[in-house]
Amino acid sequence: MRTLPDVAALAPAYDVAVVGAGPAGMAAAIAAAAHGLSVLVADEAPAPGGQIYRAVTTTRVRRRSLLGADYWRGAPLAAAFAAAPVDTLPEASVWHLDDACVLGVSAQGASRLVTARHVILATGALERPFPVRGWTEPGVMTVGAAQILLKSSGLVATGRVVLAGTGPLLWLLASQYLASGAPPALILDTTPRANWRLAAPHLPAFLCSPYALKGLRLMARVRRRVPVISDVTGLGIDRDGAAQLVTYRHGDGRSGAAAADIVLLHQGVVPNVNLAGAAGCALEWNDTQACWQPQTDAWGMTSVAHIALAGDGAGILGAEAAAVRGKLAGLAAACALGAITPQTRDRLAARPRAALRRCGRGRAFLDALYRPAGSMRVAPPDAIACRCEEVTGADIRAAVRDLHVTGPNQMKAFLRCGMGPCQGRMCALTVAETIAEARGVSPAEVGTMRLRSPVKPLTLGELASLPRSEADTKAVLRG
Amino acid sequence: MTPAGFDVAVIGGGLVGTAIGYGLVRRGLRVAILDEDDTAYRASRGNFALVWVQSKGLGMPRYAGWTQHSADIWASFAADLHARTGIDVAYSRPGGFTLALSEAELERRRAMLARLHAQPGMIPYPYEFVDRTRLEQVFPGLGPEVVGASYCPLDGHVNSLRLFRALHTGFAALGGCYLPGHKVETISGHSPGFSLATAGGPITADRIVLAAGIGNAQLGPMVGINAPVRPQRGQVIVTEKAAPFLTHPIVTLRQTDEGGIMIGDSLEEVGADTHTGLGVLATMAERAVRMFPALGRLNVVRTWAALRVMTPDGFPIYDQSVAAPGAFLCTCHSGVTLAAVHADELAAMIAGNGLPDTLAPFSGRRFDVPAAA
Repeated sequence: MRTLPDVAALAPAYDVAVVGAGPAGMAAAIAAAAHGLSVLVADEAPAPGGQIYRAVTTTRVRRRSLLGADYWRGAPLAAAFAAAPVDTLPEASVWHLDDACVLGVSAQGASRLVTARHVILATGALERPFPVRGWTEPGVMTVGAAQILLKSSGLVATGRVVLAGTGPLLWLLASQYLASGAPPALILDTTPRANWRLAAPHLPAFLCSPYALKGLRLMARVRRRVPVISDVTGLGIDRDGAAQLVTYRHGDGRSGAAAADIVLLHQGVVPNVNLAGAAGCALEWNDTQACWQPQTDAWGMTSVAHIALAGDGAGILGAEAAAVRGKLAGLAAACALGAITPQTRDRLAARPRAALRRCGRGRAFLDALYRPAGSMRVAPPDAIACRCEEVTGADIRAAVRDLHVTGPNQMKAFLRCGMGPCQGRMCALTVAETIAEARGVSPAEVGTMRLRSPVKPLTLGELASLPRSEADTKAVLRG
Repeated sequence: MTPAGFDVAVIGGGLVGTAIGYGLVRRGLRVAILDEDDTAYRASRGNFALVWVQSKGLGMPRYAGWTQHSADIWASFAADLHARTGIDVAYSRPGGFTLALSEAELERRRAMLARLHAQPGMIPYPYEFVDRTRLEQVFPGLGPEVVGASYCPLDGHVNSLRLFRALHTGFAALGGCYLPGHKVETISGHSPGFSLATAGGPITADRIVLAAGIGNAQLGPMVGINAPVRPQRGQVIVTEKAAPFLTHPIVTLRQTDEGGIMIGDSLEEVGADTHTGLGVLATMAERAVRMFPALGRLNVVRTWAALRVMTPDGFPIYDQSVAAPGAFLCTCHSGVTLAAVHADELAAMIAGNGLPDTLAPFSGRRFDVPAAA
């Protein structure tokens, strides 16, 4: 791995450009480079690892048990990546990708366009929005953000920490907090009771999966030390001086309240589709995971030629699967660019495919069990849906009811939701699902916000520095 | 829930159609606005939110007068919208500038405005050229390459998204019926009135207004109106919000009431293609930074492309059908500037006795001249 200092050091063209240096991106880069292709990996973090193995090569956390064995599983992959003949550009954002495989890359305030023959997006997952009343207040953050602080800086939130939500990451963080000697004060579990019934048919497969024993042990360990309130069906957070008051409702109609210094919210992760969508890759609604995902084939290829996806960005399957999917995408890239034959690709893919099937075991159970309740995925009237423009659930419902707005693109024009600095990267799902609920139709029918570059901010000065043709100049400068 | 028949069905839910629809319900008519769905082309979204007079009308003095009139009644139009909907569209008329980055640009500008005002029948409007010294007093932080500007006190700007919402809100509050998912497929006359086959089911109306943007090219001939409009791409950049520093709109650059800087005014003949192009965006960004170097540090939060609805001579078409009386067509690429006159005079004409002779220069018949053999 050759770490580039800035965008000036980028070659003008690469065989393969990989966006993201998590497990999928690292594995894809290793696989493509192994067949002699020139590879660029651009990543937002200072060091490879992605979210799951964030800072695995640089973390200040020395006590390995604190972050768990699964985290350190990233270390050998990161080591193999470090040894691979690839260019990496850390602390870089890829703000543009188009169907000609031109990438706009920004680092340290400078931008450059890079052309690739083949692009692998390993942009991973984002935490699903959790639009309850008060989620934007100071003192409220996501479980994922808390875990970033823990992994990269060894920091844990202090005082009364209340975790609320559903999904494996919630329990993992609780156990990591326990291990660091800062047990959470309370867990409010919003897993819908009905999910257990829906998940039950998938239980046998789950019990055969590598997650089952680990997961059940972890949850038991947390439950021994942390009070857990299950079947929470309603949630709201209000400021109470410097602290927060979390109010909740049970499935049986009872309600309660808990004081907290820090509230950590989480209800699963969804694919980060922003760059793929802006490049024109067709998206589809995954109703099982209640999210949008790019359409991909068995090799991760999207609807756009030479743009592929690997890892959770193509649908949530987890970190282990991400590395395998990265390898498959790397092999597919080598084949698409003529470095290996389809026969060689298929032969080399046989073992990864078997591994992928193994990783997939138990996924149906997790998907069914941790599918967040619809009521938690839409913004209630008193909650903010779009944080940048401070648009509430009530605003969206009123626009649907009174102005007959049918979808998120029209909604932007009426309410500006999705037009702030995040450009809908945070709120698109909430807005679409809230419109869908208000109209009584599926999010698939409502559609999602049209995505365009820049998918990450860049300065006007950077944009001004980019190359242009004579025709481009003439389109602007007219007599 | 849909009434069986309307007095008027307006085809198109953009700024043009909504302004006319609003004007019609204000006159007590039962009006439907038939719109497409969430991902239609929507030229309205590509607008630059200028209420602009300077430089308009070279080649058609009547257009210059029509534009000027709309700008003159814009303040009362905005006040009416505010009173009816509670929505402040942030209209202001501080006068607008066109900055020149070289003496050659400034000269071209001088020559163009001189030609415009020398046209027979032109109703003159005030404008002047401002040199760099005076410009520096208006615009602190002006880039060193700016040599001068033209200025017109009649120019202004608004918040066009709020204008759009106010028109829809006012339309709904006055009993108008907005019907998304009603893309019109065919129009047929029935006596009296019109039958429309739409994606959302049949609609009948005594009168119809074709305000479907690029769609007018297909719809116009169904009622015997020639509307040879084509899409012309324009790209827009908007930055993060900044403290107010631009007191006047510049034709290619303005600070919105909410603080973001909009940069626009590219023009490309690429058909119905709404992709953005980095080269054009870079050119626009570079010119903006040369005008105001401090802008270079602002983050770009959004870029987009939209389609102007362009006629062969660039001027609007206002027409009424001879073959199918009661069918009107309206198309233009200045839906913000002309919103006031569309909601006022034009709606009154459509509700009343039809288009008067004074609008004859805008008829689509001007494009009927057969192509040279």
